[in-house]
Amino acid sequence: MGALMWIEVISHHGDVATRHAVEHEEARIGRAFDNDIVVDDAHVAPHHLRIYRGEDGELVAEDLQTLNGLYPEHGAHRVARLSLAREPGFRIGRTTLRVRDARHPVAPEKLLTPPRKHAQWAGLLGGILLALLLALQWLNLTTQPNASAIFLPLLGFVTALAVWTLFWAILSRIFFGQAQFALMLRIAVTACIALVLWDQLTETASFSLAWREARDYSGLGAWALLGAACYGHLHAIGPRHMRAAMTLVVVLVIAGAAVQYFGRSETRRIIGQRASLGELRPPAFRAVPLATADQFFAKAENAKARVDLARTKEPSSGLFGDMDPFD
Amino acid sequence: MTSRFALLLATALAAGLALAQPRQPDVEPAAPAAPMSSAAERVYELARPRILQIRTLLQAAGRQTTIGSGFLVTADGFAITNYHVVSQFALDPRTYRLEYLAPDGARGPLQLLAIDVPHDLAVVKIDRADLPYFTFDTRALGGRLPKGERIYAMGNPLDLGFTIVEGTYNGLVDKSYDERIHFSGAINPGMSGGPVAGNDGRVVGINVAKSLGGESVGFLVPAKFAATLIERARKGPPLAIDKAREEVGRQLDQWQAGFFDALRTLGFRNTLLGPYRGLESAAPWMSCWANTNADQVQKPRASMSGTRCSSATGIFVSDRILTGRIDFSYSYFKSQDLNAFQFARELSQRARGSAADGDKRLTEQECRDDFVTTAANRPPLRATWCMRAYREFEGLYNVTLMALTQDRDREALLGQLTMQGVSHANAVSLGRRFLEAIEWAR
Repeated sequence: MGALMWIEVISHHGDVATRHAVEHEEARIGRAFDNDIVVDDAHVAPHHLRIYRGEDGELVAEDLQTLNGLYPEHGAHRVARLSLAREPGFRIGRTTLRVRDARHPVAPEKLLTPPRKHAQWAGLLGGILLALLLALQWLNLTTQPNASAIFLPLLGFVTALAVWTLFWAILSRIFFGQAQFALMLRIAVTACIALVLWDQLTETASFSLAWREARDYSGLGAWALLGAACYGHLHAIGPRHMRAAMTLVVVLVIAGAAVQYFGRSETRRIIGQRASLGELRPPAFRAVPLATADQFFAKAENAKARVDLARTKEPSSGLFGDMDPFD
Repeated sequence: MTSRFALLLATALAAGLALAQPRQPDVEPAAPAAPMSSAAERVYELARPRILQIRTLLQAAGRQTTIGSGFLVTADGFAITNYHVVSQFALDPRTYRLEYLAPDGARGPLQLLAIDVPHDLAVVKIDRADLPYFTFDTRALGGRLPKGERIYAMGNPLDLGFTIVEGTYNGLVDKSYDERIHFSGAINPGMSGGPVAGNDGRVVGINVAKSLGGESVGFLVPAKFAATLIERARKGPPLAIDKAREEVGRQLDQWQAGFFDALRTLGFRNTLLGPYRGLESAAPWMSCWANTNADQVQKPRASMSGTRCSSATGIFVSDRILTGRIDFSYSYFKSQDLNAFQFARELSQRARGSAADGDKRLTEQECRDDFVTTAANRPPLRATWCMRAYREFEGLYNVTLMALTQDRDREALLGQLTMQGVSHANAVSLGRRFLEAIEWAR
């Protein structure tokens, strides 16, 4: 006869420490040695708990009138009886346990991506990224070409990428047990490609659509991409505590974006602003119809309304307060 | 930029530079002075009791932040100085106050009676009436002073003590919208607002600025503007100090209206650059220069030749704002071996206005971009309109209009029109004209 239920003792870190098969319809848990599952916890009674099948056939845990009682795994209120069909976990004393019915369905088999595959992808994407960066370097080169002007920034970039990947691989080694370097590299390279494309996209949009804000606020998108990359790395390290990880990433991204935004307005305030045409593209990139002079000056009217509004307000003191000693 | 252009730029910048603030006087070994004529001694004796040092004091500290000079012109204690000597007080009377130091060592408060911002003059009044005073040279008032005449600039340079400087009257500056006398002699910070008199001790002009580029090139305000301002101060009600800002704004607005009228009256002409034509002012006081990158050591991959016409006007408003200048500048770029992308990139780097400071008296800049066509037979343009408003002076703006031709991908004309302290209507009117003037020459 096979197991009818499995009882899992959960470690303080949240993973399964031991798992016991129970081959009869009822199981007893406690500190005494005549139990099915013996728990070494001073806050657990010698005969603490009875697991049995209720009238509907589902498993139920019942407190045997102990001092410290029975709590749902995530609940704060003591219960006398707990149906385990919905929530299989519970606490007795300082110990957490889960009871699984042998009929409990499990998730289908996940496809294993072998590390070699990750390495291949990382190599392929890395090649694409390097080609992309080289092409951009070349397109942005307006002085006489020389190798150091093109390759030195690239070298710096590759070093930064390696350090970043190594950092996550070490974290993965500590918390997951394996470095997963290839996977981390694949995530980092993918994020870099996305960042470069995003940057080009916003720059081109600001020219093609005559839409300056696309450039001004593209930093926010870049921070979101960075956040997504961090999320990917954390997910690869372990799917547990994802909510906390997600919160951390969101907070970091918001803080980074805020610092960048205020830093930018501070720079503008202190060293002033130059008029410029922005980032230009060849004329063929124009994607909006030509405006008449009237339409253009109507748009300029809007700039006037903005500066007129700004002149009635006090100048903002910025993130670092008033640093001008003469006023 | 050629060195010639840089030289002019420095001159143009210096034309309105404040002389009143020797915060940290740099002491350099002086060249031996030429022997003074006996006329200078006479003028000195005559002038000494009539000259004041004018100090702007920080209310809270009771000590001067800037010093300048001034001179008495009436029996009842009216004195002339530069607007820029009293500008801190005029714009911010709650932080600063004015004080005079008479030659006999007496001090006292000063009342600000009238200002003439475009000519950089102010009338102040002392609280005593027992001092001798200057009169104006009638030949100078009528503009009949001969070039080469000996004249003497007086004041208190760098707070070193009362000084007389012998120099030469060199007539009015040729390329200047506002009349300025060219004085060949060394005037220095602290002498601002001091009188410049002839042999007989009669006032010809008022010290106002010096060139940073040249040696002993000084600028004076002609005496006639001071005489007019004194008349106005005597007849009109005195300036209410809490309304001084409004008065400055009103005068700037009035000045720019007159300036743009003069621009329109004097007309415009075409300038030719490569296959394109642009617009320039035909006013005789516009100063125009050309520049190129052809002589760069590393061979440029896109050739650039440009012209720039500047009005060289500079009205002092506060220690960080000079206003009233207008620039027409054009650069023609042609790719040598850059592809269309690289050429666009090169243009992005070149199409930058001059650095504007982050002065709080101006708002942050707002820009609007668009692709513009002014007529089917003219090249399409990528245009940007950037403006900042003067916080204290309603209706005045600094505007930069940039336009880049979009008809070819390896050559382009970049036009840039810069207008300081301009009304929106004047800026739009000239801006439209500027855009419409960019056309094919062949």
